[in-house]
Amino acid sequence: MSIQIENLTKIYNPDTDFPVTAVNHVDLQVEQDEFVAVMGPSGSGKTTLLNMMGGIDRPCEGTVIIDGTDITQLTDKELIGFRRDSIGFIFQDFSLLPVLTALENVEFVMQLQGKSRTECEARAVELLNDVGLGDRLSNVPGKLSGGQQQRVAVARALAPKPKFVLADEPTANLDAQTTYGLLDIMQQLNEKEGTTFIFSTHDPRVIERARRVIVFEDGKVAEDRVARAQKPEDRTL
Amino acid sequence: MLLKLAWKNVWRNRLRSGIMVAAMVFGLLGVILMVGFMKAMTDNMLDNAIKYQTAHLQIHNPDFLVNEELEAWLPRADAMAREIRGISGVAGVTVRHVVDGMLASAASTRGVRINGILAEDESAVTSLEESLVDGKFLPEKGRNPIMVSKRSAKKLNLRIGSKVVLTFSDIEGEVSGAAFRVCGFFKTPSTGFDEGNVYVRRTDLAGYTGLNESHEIAIRLEDGDAVDAFRQRVEAVVGDSGIVRDWGEVQPILAAMQGTMGISNAIIIGVFVTALGFGIINIMLMSVFERTREFAMLMAVGMTGGKVLRLVVMESLMLGSVGSVLGLLASSLMIAITGTVGLPFGRMAEGLGAFGLDAVLYPEVTMATYLGTLGMLMVTSVLAALYPARQILKKRLSEALAERN
Repeated sequence: MSIQIENLTKIYNPDTDFPVTAVNHVDLQVEQDEFVAVMGPSGSGKTTLLNMMGGIDRPCEGTVIIDGTDITQLTDKELIGFRRDSIGFIFQDFSLLPVLTALENVEFVMQLQGKSRTECEARAVELLNDVGLGDRLSNVPGKLSGGQQQRVAVARALAPKPKFVLADEPTANLDAQTTYGLLDIMQQLNEKEGTTFIFSTHDPRVIERARRVIVFEDGKVAEDRVARAQKPEDRTL
Repeated sequence: MLLKLAWKNVWRNRLRSGIMVAAMVFGLLGVILMVGFMKAMTDNMLDNAIKYQTAHLQIHNPDFLVNEELEAWLPRADAMAREIRGISGVAGVTVRHVVDGMLASAASTRGVRINGILAEDESAVTSLEESLVDGKFLPEKGRNPIMVSKRSAKKLNLRIGSKVVLTFSDIEGEVSGAAFRVCGFFKTPSTGFDEGNVYVRRTDLAGYTGLNESHEIAIRLEDGDAVDAFRQRVEAVVGDSGIVRDWGEVQPILAAMQGTMGISNAIIIGVFVTALGFGIINIMLMSVFERTREFAMLMAVGMTGGKVLRLVVMESLMLGSVGSVLGLLASSLMIAITGTVGLPFGRMAEGLGAFGLDAVLYPEVTMATYLGTLGMLMVTSVLAALYPARQILKKRLSEALAERN
C-alpha cells in the first residue's frame, strides 16, 4: 500500500477577493506500515490535507494516488465505497453513535461493507479485546470515559481492515495517561494489522511516538523527517 | 442495524418525540371523533328522512311535482302498489291521498299537509306508528280520527279526543272541510316535519275531497343499498303513469350531504395530516441538524447518501407510525365507547330537531376511514423526512465534519 500525493492544492473561496490557500502544491509519499505524524500549528492545513487524502474533500489541483487509484478522479459514489473499504477514520471528538453500544459501533461500519453478522461480531469483539474493552462491549458511549470512547473509535477505524487510518488530532481531548495508553494500542495495532496510521496533531506525546514526522506550515511541507519513535517502555509521564 | 439505529434515534430525545406522539394522538382523537360525529349526523338525518318521510322510492304524477294540486293524482295507484308489493325485496308499499289544507283548533290555526293513509300499509313503510307518543294509531273504527304531532298539539292546545277542523279545496275547487277528532300524537325527530303534517284515514279524506284516487306511492325496500336496482323494476311497473324518484331526488340536500361527506372528511383529515406533516418536518429538522456531524461521520466511514436518506425516512416513519397507531387505537376506543353509549345533546336536542336529528347520536367511523388516515399519515411521514434529509445530504462533507453541535 502506498499513498502518493502530487502537486496537491486546495484553495478555499477561489473566486473571491480573499482566497485562502490551505494546501499549496504538496508532494508526499507514504508507504505501508508507516506511523506518521503530520504536525503544525492550527490553520496550517493539516486537516485539509488529511481530508483530501481520505477522499472527504476534493483538491483544486493535484492527485492523490492510493495503491494506483487516483481518488481525485473517482465519482462521489465510488469515493464512498473507497472510503468504506480502504480508509479508517479517527476523529478528535470520537464521533461514536451514542445510541449504539461499543460492540454495535464497531460492527456498524463492517455492516456497511455488507459483511455477515457473525463475521462483524467476531471481528468487533476481537478488536475491542485488542483495545482493552472486552468487558465493555455492551456499554453505550455515554457510559465510557473519553479514553475508552477513543479506543472504541480506534477499533471502529480498523474494523473494515482499511489500507490506512487517518486520525485527526485523536488525543486532543485526552489526558496524558489516556493518550499514552491509546498510542500504545495504536502502535500495537499498527504492528499487528500492518495498517498505516497518519495523524494530524500538535501533541508532542504523539510526535514522540511517530516514526515519521511531517511538519506542515502555511499549507506546505516545511520538514519531513524520520524520527526514532519511543517504545511504550521508554515513555515518561 | 439501520432499523435499530433509526428506532433508537427516535427515542434519543424522549421528551421531544413524546410531545410529537402526544400531539398526534390528541389530534387524531379530535379529528376522528369529529369525522365519526359528522357521519353519525348525516346517517341519522338520512335514516330519519327515509324512516319517517321519503321511504326509499316514491311515485308521483309528474304534474304533482310541479304543483302539488289535488288534480295531479296518480292513475292506477292501487293497482301499481299491488304489483310492486309482489316484487321480491320490497318491504312495504303505501298509497297516500295528499292535500294541503288548514288545521284549526279552538286555540289556533296552521297550514298542514294532510296525508290520507291506510294505517296498516303506512306501518309497513314508515315508522310513524312507532313514533306514536300518546293515543292510538288511526283506528279502523270511529268517525274521522286524526293524528297530529305532539308539537302541533301543544301549539294548538289539543288533547286526545279534542276536535279539530280541517279545511282544504275539493276536486271541484270549492272549499271543503270536516271536523276530525284527535286519536293520537306522534313525534318524529324532525320538528319541521311534525309541524307540517297530519294523518287521517285515506277513505275519510277521499270522501271530503271528492276524489277517489291517490297522489303518492311510497316504497320501502328490505335493502336500502339496492335502491338503484329496484328503481328500474318499479319503473317498469309504473310505465308512463308516473315518475319514480329515489330518496335522494326527494331530499336532494340530504343526498348532497351524503355525497359530499366523503370529500369533507377527506379535507378535514387532509388538513390535519398536513399540519402534522409540518410538525414532523420540524421535529426531523431539529433532529438532523443537531446530528450534522454524526451524519457526516457516517458518510465519511462509508454510508451512502441513499442509506442516510433511508435512515432519516425510517426515523420519521417510526415516529409517525407510533403516533398514528396510538392515535388511531385511542380514537377507535373513543368511537367504540361513544358509538355504544351515544352522545346525548340534552338541551340542544330541540334545536337539532330542525335538522331531523335524534337527541342522541352514535358516532361511527368506517374501517376505510381508519386505514385511509393511517395511509395518509404514513405517506406524510415519509414525505416529511425528505426535506430534512436533503438538508443534510446537500452539505459538503468536510464542512459538515467541521461543524460543532
